[in-house]
Amino acid sequence: MMQKLEKILMPIANVLSRNKILIAIRDGFLVTVPITIVGSIFLLIANFPLEGFLNMMTSIFGAGWDAYLGRVSAIAFDCVALLGVLSIGYCYSREKGLENRIGGAVVALVCFLIITPQKTVVELEGAAEAASFSGFQFTFLGTAGMFLAMITAILSVEIYAWAIKKKLIIRLPDGVPPMVMESFASLIPSAIAMTIFFAVGIIFDHTSFEYAHYFIYRVLQAPLVGLGKLSGFEVIYQFLSTLFWFFGINGPAVTNTIFSPIHKVLTVENYEAAQAGLEMTNIFTAGFSDFFCNFGGGGSTLGLVIIMAFLGKSNRMKTLGRLSLPAGIFGINEPLIFGLPIVLNPLMAVPFILTPVVNTIIGYLATVTGIMPITLGVQLPWTCPIVFSGFLVTGSVMGSVVQIVMLIVDVLIYYPFFKLLDKRYLEEESAAGGQEDELDNLSFDDLELD
Amino acid sequence: MKVVLIFDQGLAGAGGKSNPNVGLTAVKGGVGSALMLEPHFEKIGAQVAATLYCGNEYFLHNEEEVVTKMTAMIKKVKPDFVLCGPCFNYPDYSRMAAMISANILQNTEFKSCAMMSVENAETIEAYKDKTPILKMPKKGGTGLNDSFADLCEFMQCTVEGSGELEAVRNRVCY
Repeated sequence: MMQKLEKILMPIANVLSRNKILIAIRDGFLVTVPITIVGSIFLLIANFPLEGFLNMMTSIFGAGWDAYLGRVSAIAFDCVALLGVLSIGYCYSREKGLENRIGGAVVALVCFLIITPQKTVVELEGAAEAASFSGFQFTFLGTAGMFLAMITAILSVEIYAWAIKKKLIIRLPDGVPPMVMESFASLIPSAIAMTIFFAVGIIFDHTSFEYAHYFIYRVLQAPLVGLGKLSGFEVIYQFLSTLFWFFGINGPAVTNTIFSPIHKVLTVENYEAAQAGLEMTNIFTAGFSDFFCNFGGGGSTLGLVIIMAFLGKSNRMKTLGRLSLPAGIFGINEPLIFGLPIVLNPLMAVPFILTPVVNTIIGYLATVTGIMPITLGVQLPWTCPIVFSGFLVTGSVMGSVVQIVMLIVDVLIYYPFFKLLDKRYLEEESAAGGQEDELDNLSFDDLELD
Repeated sequence: MKVVLIFDQGLAGAGGKSNPNVGLTAVKGGVGSALMLEPHFEKIGAQVAATLYCGNEYFLHNEEEVVTKMTAMIKKVKPDFVLCGPCFNYPDYSRMAAMISANILQNTEFKSCAMMSVENAETIEAYKDKTPILKMPKKGGTGLNDSFADLCEFMQCTVEGSGELEAVRNRVCY
């Protein structure tokens, strides 16, 4: 059965993990993660879930201190599409094998800005006419523009790369500095891409959608992000991620090509709702996925590492558990994946795949029943340890409590499978059956060296 | 078929980056990642007689000692085949595996190979003429099971001295 399953999964993994467009989108969003994390830290300080801390800050810096911090978090969240188009443009230029990758990225950014509304009309109370001003609105540069940013980045770089491949470039004589040469070589490809997007913008101006943003949002983004709001969304993501890992394939690297943009939008939508004073409604944010589904790495192996370290009877279990525990607390389980091993080990397949799914269900139920608050629109480093992450990502101690409950459940799920493997290792170590031979006392100390 | 595995500390289940200085260790039977190989080995009647390993940093600081002593231990255990790998894309382990396998083939009558992913291009280029180096995916890449099936085919052809060995080698090695 496992062989049949692998035969089905392998082509899917190959298509998803080798598709240049999906890789560029996945990696492009990864580029924006540090910015979002830094923005989240500023946001957390400004909205720290302890009244005493906020009062102390006000007493030190005066009223309105939090508004300064908002300058950083606003760029990280409200300009997420802007950052995305640049980084995806860069990554797609890399995938297309372009030498001038930054050239491709800048063209993507410019094309996105060309089709973004540059004039804002504001209805002022008491004024006879609506006022208008020139400038971009955060509305079009944030989550609402994310899918358009992806599409624009891919199409503009595709056009740019096509023009370069067709040698539609200006060649300067030898001896011209390389930077100048590169700059002029990009001139015609950039012009073609920008002109096409200029035309696209005008076409949308004459439709009922008015802007490409509204069209993509209604036709593509809203339905896809709607999938992320279904209760089964996160379960499917977690299940597939660990299933791929069991076959030795880096699960998230495959599944994130599809799920990562949706997680990102769901997260930033919560941030925008909170900023607007509205209720946050998205349960399956990046914070939920990172801190309420897996502890200690893929397969939520922290529970396993703890029982290996403290309840293991075989030397192998004890040693590996104790050595893996420090890294496990910070979400890293590589020594376990290949050292226990988990990859291609049928005995560990069941708990490895089941545990994150059970965590996801517990987290979902705890959220919908109000036991813990919905996760905020912040993004923390995925290495943030359990308990701290639960508190910070929900702004409530209950987030930490739910994590501890999940960890106990994880231990219970892994325990019977751990016992079976530990027993097997113990038998091997004690040379069961008394079949002692010259291999029992192998030592590098008494070797004869020629 | 009696097989000896040569691992680094990560594949041996002796910790990953947290334990890079573990010294030369020999264990009867298979440990750590040997469990991944077991179902494939069963198909060709191969059994892991012993696993030899050391930490990647221990190797970097004691290259000559590691290669010499690992080779001497192979002479003592007298296996039918030595597998130096699977190294995935771990650079230090790949270099260690290639060096040990090349030394075994050059200085003993035992059969051996290394196994690593294409990311270790420098090591592959330097050692592919001195030892067979089997292809495999990097850590987290697709095709791990298929690469183990190729390994077993190569091991069987090598040990049996099959006439197909050259064809298999051309297909599964760099």
